[in-house]
Amino acid sequence: MATVGLEDVWKRYGKVEAVRGISMEIVDGEFVALLGPSGCGKTSTMRMIAGLEEISAGDIRFDGKSVIDRPPRARNVAMAFENYALYPTLSVYENLAFPARAAHWPNDRIDKRVREVASIAAIDKLLERRTGELSSGQAQMVGLARALVREPAVFLLDEPISHVDARLRIDMRTYIKRLQVELGYTMVLVTHDQEDAMALADRIAVMADGRLRQLGTPAEVYDRPEDTFVANFIGSPPINLFECQIGQAGGKTVLRRDGLTFDLPDQFLPLATAGTLPASVTVGIRPFHLTAGAGAGHGAIAARVVVVEPLGDMEIVTAEAGNLPIQVVIPPGNRPKRDDTMQLALEPEYVLLFDTESKQAIHAPSGGSATAHAAAALV
Amino acid sequence: MLELDSVVKLFGTTVAINGVELSVRDHEYLVILGPAGAGKSTTLRLIAGLTKPTRGDIRVDGQSLLGVAPEHRDISMVFENYALYPQRTVFENLSFPLEARRVPRSEIKHRVESMASILLIDSLLDRRPGALSGGQRQRVALGRGLIRDATVYLLDEPLSHLDARVRQDIRVQLKAMSVNLHSMVIHVTQDYREAMSLADRIAVLNQGRILQVGTPDEIYAAPVNEFVATFVGDPPMSLLDATFANENGQPVLRVAGTNISLAANELISRVTNGSQPLAFRVAARPTDVPVSASETKECSIPAHVYVSESHGYRNIVTIKLGDATIRVAAPPKQTWRVNDPVWLGLGMHNLHVFANGKAIYHPAVSAAGATTRPQRSLTAASTIGN
Repeated sequence: MATVGLEDVWKRYGKVEAVRGISMEIVDGEFVALLGPSGCGKTSTMRMIAGLEEISAGDIRFDGKSVIDRPPRARNVAMAFENYALYPTLSVYENLAFPARAAHWPNDRIDKRVREVASIAAIDKLLERRTGELSSGQAQMVGLARALVREPAVFLLDEPISHVDARLRIDMRTYIKRLQVELGYTMVLVTHDQEDAMALADRIAVMADGRLRQLGTPAEVYDRPEDTFVANFIGSPPINLFECQIGQAGGKTVLRRDGLTFDLPDQFLPLATAGTLPASVTVGIRPFHLTAGAGAGHGAIAARVVVVEPLGDMEIVTAEAGNLPIQVVIPPGNRPKRDDTMQLALEPEYVLLFDTESKQAIHAPSGGSATAHAAAALV
Repeated sequence: MLELDSVVKLFGTTVAINGVELSVRDHEYLVILGPAGAGKSTTLRLIAGLTKPTRGDIRVDGQSLLGVAPEHRDISMVFENYALYPQRTVFENLSFPLEARRVPRSEIKHRVESMASILLIDSLLDRRPGALSGGQRQRVALGRGLIRDATVYLLDEPLSHLDARVRQDIRVQLKAMSVNLHSMVIHVTQDYREAMSLADRIAVLNQGRILQVGTPDEIYAAPVNEFVATFVGDPPMSLLDATFANENGQPVLRVAGTNISLAANELISRVTNGSQPLAFRVAARPTDVPVSASETKECSIPAHVYVSESHGYRNIVTIKLGDATIRVAAPPKQTWRVNDPVWLGLGMHNLHVFANGKAIYHPAVSAAGATTRPQRSLTAASTIGN
């Protein structure tokens, strides 16, 4: 297994810049997801790691050694695709053994490795079956396992489960995650699906327009997105984002828009005091972080219920506060009706602020709100 | 009211629809939910008159539709494969059903623009379908189906090709719009969230048979069998094999592959009074099972972590319970490492019980709704030891 380093990697196709200066280090045994919409450069990045595309500028290193002059087969990279192209008339065992036979391994080594990988992938009971007889989920696991047989330095997964049915996908995620933990392989997953990325990866590289927007753990990209793109791309139902102006009311700094006023959360007070907040900010609040109904209390806004979606474990309410559409997730039980008025309060500790112009996150000074108060007093 | 009365549809010797009985009320939004190949599209095509039933009858307000040609049924259908006119622009595709009904030109423009705006395709009106993505085409198809007045709207997987984010937006728009349609809508999908979100009632279809018809709440809280129980919910309930036994004179369900015995209630004891042996299974919604990193009064069943996945607002933890596997939803703040010991709370308060596949017991709906903190109740109203 290898540490994979990307250093200012560029990919140009004629005048089109597909990848624009990506740098990151994927440490040995880490599972990193390259996540972004189509055209963000994630697939080009993966293909450059595999050696299937030349890089236009920059360097790619495995364990510190540049690999950009090595052809794909000399990089010891395994790739798994959604379509595995198994040999349908061969047994699962022979399918798994195939890459090792091609590499002229001795038979006893092949046998040991095939059984080991089959056991980890939980397909050891299927070894004698022909792959043509397998369910699609079993075939997916055989395809993944086959890619693992050769003990690759890096394992690349290109949207391996994007189009399998919902049920199977949940199980596949569990298996892939467990496989990676047990094998300790360096894995890179390419996906456009934020849920797959969140569920599987140790860290997520969120990409857009050929650039790396943020590299962080699932919790980091979810709780502390670096810009409005990341905030919006991660999470379902999506984060509420709306523009506000910084203002003053009753001696306090507030966030204002079209007749709505919110207290500026405490953690941002030092910035207000220091005068470093931009005049226009974009507020981000996830639907899970609004309090609805009687608990809303101080600072609540009134919103008219437009649509209620009961999903069993939660209900998504789409409401309008004045002309501001806002989504909130509430627990099942007290279901509001269309056109009801609902009191909504932002949970201040979860409020994110972005500079409306640059779309970049405005970081609250670290140390939490108590420290923030103290800091405010000192400024 | 629309009624399907003992409808059977054979394709050669293949039974596509196997005796479907279904009544859809006026103004009702009914969702037919089922996996691929269940017979969902065939059901819509039978209602539309695009194919004839082998046996049975289809009636609207008591009048059989079987002799009525499709174009005289006042039904508007949205096809999963779009069926757009490739030579016409998006505007012309949307306006076609209105022009065919001689709606005045000024009104056509207004209605097309308003529909395009709702479906987020207003910037595409001058394009032809060939220049659109699958998701955009699907929205045009949906708009064309909904733009005219009809007695019945039939929607065949109308959101299936949209990416997750757009699908959620359009789902909300469709729900808001459906209130103003004042017509019957029959919507087919494989996505239980879509069904729950939109439906007044859901009909679960599998292998040409209707397994259950009920409100989203009923389907979720009281699924009639293991199929419905596991088809609805994400992640699905984990089914655990169990056997019925008497321990010290007390009826219990022993969970196979574990050393867990659950005190069974009288109801279950009664079911076992028959002579033939029953295959029991128990299952709990992942959001109903409390999990703790230490043993507590509520969480007393020892197990260990198989895998944990982050979903931002919660973690989904797959847990090994002896040889059995169960998924639970846990709050986002705590990390769960592979092979960590954990303790679960399982009992008749959160388990559904199935005998030979059929539900015989459901837990009472939890009082989760009474709590005011959404994130807590979403992960079961549980105490998480930390």
